[in-house]
Amino acid sequence: MKQVDSRPMQLSRRQLLLGGGVLAGSLALGASVTGCGGAAQAAGNDLRFWHLLSGGDGIKMQSMIDRANAAHPEFTVKPTVLAWGPPYYTKLAMASAGGRPPEVAIMHAARVPGYAPGGLLDAWDLGLLAEYGVRPEDFTARIWQKSQLDGKVFSIALDSHPFILLYNTEVAGKAGVLGANGQLTGISSPSQFLEVARELQRVTGKHGLSYGFLGDGAQMWRMFYTFYKQHGADMVLEPGKPAQVDRDVAIDCLEFIKSMLDDTIATKSGDGGTAIAEFAGQGSGMLFTGVWELPTMKAAGVPLDATTIPTLFGTPAAFADSHAFVLPHQAKTDETKRRDVYKFVASMLQGSLEWAEAGHIPAYQPVVRSKEYAALFPQAHYAHAADIINYDPQAWFTGSGSDFQKYFAENVQNVFLGRIKSAEGWDAFIARIDALLAKPNPV
Amino acid sequence: MPRLAAPQRRQPRTVPGISAPGNPVPHRSAPRRRLRENWQGWAFMAPFLAFFLMFLVWPMMSGAYMSLTGKSLTGANDTFIGLANYGEAFADPDMWRSLGNTLYFTLISTVPLVVVALALAALVNMGLPAQWLWRLSFFSPFLLASTVVSLFFAWMYNPELGLFNDILMKLGLPPVAWLNDPSVAMWAIVIATVWWTVGFNFLLYLAALQNIPQQHYEAASLDGAGGWRQFFSITLPQLGPTTVMIVILQVLASLKVFDQIYQMTGGGPGGTTRPVVQYIFEAGFTGYRLGYSAAISYIFFGLILLISLAQLFITRKRSA
Repeated sequence: MKQVDSRPMQLSRRQLLLGGGVLAGSLALGASVTGCGGAAQAAGNDLRFWHLLSGGDGIKMQSMIDRANAAHPEFTVKPTVLAWGPPYYTKLAMASAGGRPPEVAIMHAARVPGYAPGGLLDAWDLGLLAEYGVRPEDFTARIWQKSQLDGKVFSIALDSHPFILLYNTEVAGKAGVLGANGQLTGISSPSQFLEVARELQRVTGKHGLSYGFLGDGAQMWRMFYTFYKQHGADMVLEPGKPAQVDRDVAIDCLEFIKSMLDDTIATKSGDGGTAIAEFAGQGSGMLFTGVWELPTMKAAGVPLDATTIPTLFGTPAAFADSHAFVLPHQAKTDETKRRDVYKFVASMLQGSLEWAEAGHIPAYQPVVRSKEYAALFPQAHYAHAADIINYDPQAWFTGSGSDFQKYFAENVQNVFLGRIKSAEGWDAFIARIDALLAKPNPV
Repeated sequence: MPRLAAPQRRQPRTVPGISAPGNPVPHRSAPRRRLRENWQGWAFMAPFLAFFLMFLVWPMMSGAYMSLTGKSLTGANDTFIGLANYGEAFADPDMWRSLGNTLYFTLISTVPLVVVALALAALVNMGLPAQWLWRLSFFSPFLLASTVVSLFFAWMYNPELGLFNDILMKLGLPPVAWLNDPSVAMWAIVIATVWWTVGFNFLLYLAALQNIPQQHYEAASLDGAGGWRQFFSITLPQLGPTTVMIVILQVLASLKVFDQIYQMTGGGPGGTTRPVVQYIFEAGFTGYRLGYSAAISYIFFGLILLISLAQLFITRKRSA
């Protein structure tokens, strides 16, 4: 048996140095794995820009960034794209809470009330913004109002992206539901809308309307809130108090949506993908969707037009949110970079005609008033939506991609599927919101 | 075969050359001496210890303290509030519901993940031709990322375009709202999970099966035992320790379920598939309440500890 050498190990100076080097290396590696250290610091004239736009939107955004970079050699915007919804918003909140967020980021305007009061965002300096040609009067009233909180401006909207109605002009023409101007007009009541949908169904033989909602809280909420606001009803969510809502109107809206989902007008089992595939495949005549689906449908070759969602309940209204630029709060602000951010944002707003090609309505009105925009089809047909848009009710937990829309789905999907009564689903949703409002406000 | 000699145990405090006769040990207190003599050992352990302290001990302590505060993701309300978060969690129906969902998933996923793995391993072990192909087919799904599996199954479960409903309708059966029917959704996730992860247990079982001495089966067949008799009297008892290990690993893995549920149903429909890990994530990261989220984590930790101790107790009792 081999004898084990049991002498204590003698380390030479060289071995000690080598070992120390390895140890230091592994600690350095540990530090870089944790994401601390140099990586978070932007180099020289780099402006770090986080956004959540992918797919066609992402390509358009990159092209706009490239243009801004080319026009401003004094800075280079380096974008980081993160997944939409909780992954984006949690990372942005954590980066800001840690004091080393990007110089500029995109947020949905309706999410700002969950960030600004906690000190995660800095307010915009309107004087500096005006120096680069962006003034409050360049925005419509609703959008500008949404950018403010407690008298300060926390977000600068790039667009508004309402929930709209796309329709197949060929199917609609055959169904005889187009007006003299060749557009879908003259629908002003729920029964008229359902009748038009039935006419379209007779042409397609499948469905009249495509509406994807299964497993998608945002889609359910967009549709519901559009009709809720068309009733002229309000929804106020104040921490420490029960939700102030119009229960009768809410139940009426849920009943109406349910009546569309009868497997003839629209399928009961449609999710987002199914609805898009069905409309693109001309299996229906109408599609309830966000403006961002427009390029997909154009690419699919659907003979297409678009309109705001018809006013069925008296008050013109549409659910919407805005992609808006925000200044995440940094522990140490570099004044030169901050000034560059203003230049960048102004440049993006002024170049937002390109953004309109992706379907969004530019927030910067000089672009909307331009001849080039008027020539964009069918974008120009719903541009007036910016005057009737409604953002989520204000609370720290509402807005696009928030848990609020998820709680709505949890309680309302079964209503849409006919498994529970509208009142039951609505009351359960409100009970959940009340519980949230009763808890301490974490921002 | 000669028995291997038991390794000689070294005296921990004896270092030759220092404690040898004629070279008396200086009169020092034992702990200090030990530290001085073992410093090289500590130096070699240092990288691991640094990671262990940084990424396990410190976060655990910091999380425990956080659960006693009102800490928010925004950095607000970082005040000590004692056990208030725990009190709130115990009274929170959503926490209980998500805990219940986790236990339900664990229960209905562990059984097929053990039984199906055993059945597949037994089939392959019967000496089917092209064994490598079976082994590859049963194990390869395990190598896929959860996102891939979730997307793949979400499409197959699609009520309008999916493969499963297409098959059902061709058979003249009504379509099923796989991921949107509260009574079916969890089972749909279990089916996907079994397909995805059964390969690992299958491999463990197959290795154990191949370790059972062939002589046992030869002796049994000489005594007239049939295939089933051999399976129940030789195979199953011989697989006992492997089964215990698989069950323990599986229960712990299933309790931590999150990825595939988050991606396939997001916890829906109506919160019927939301596991407690997702509730912890929502409370802390999308609800901003880190303190509250930490409290639920520790409640869940306590539950896992209880289940693990119970398993340990049962298996010890059995092997005693």
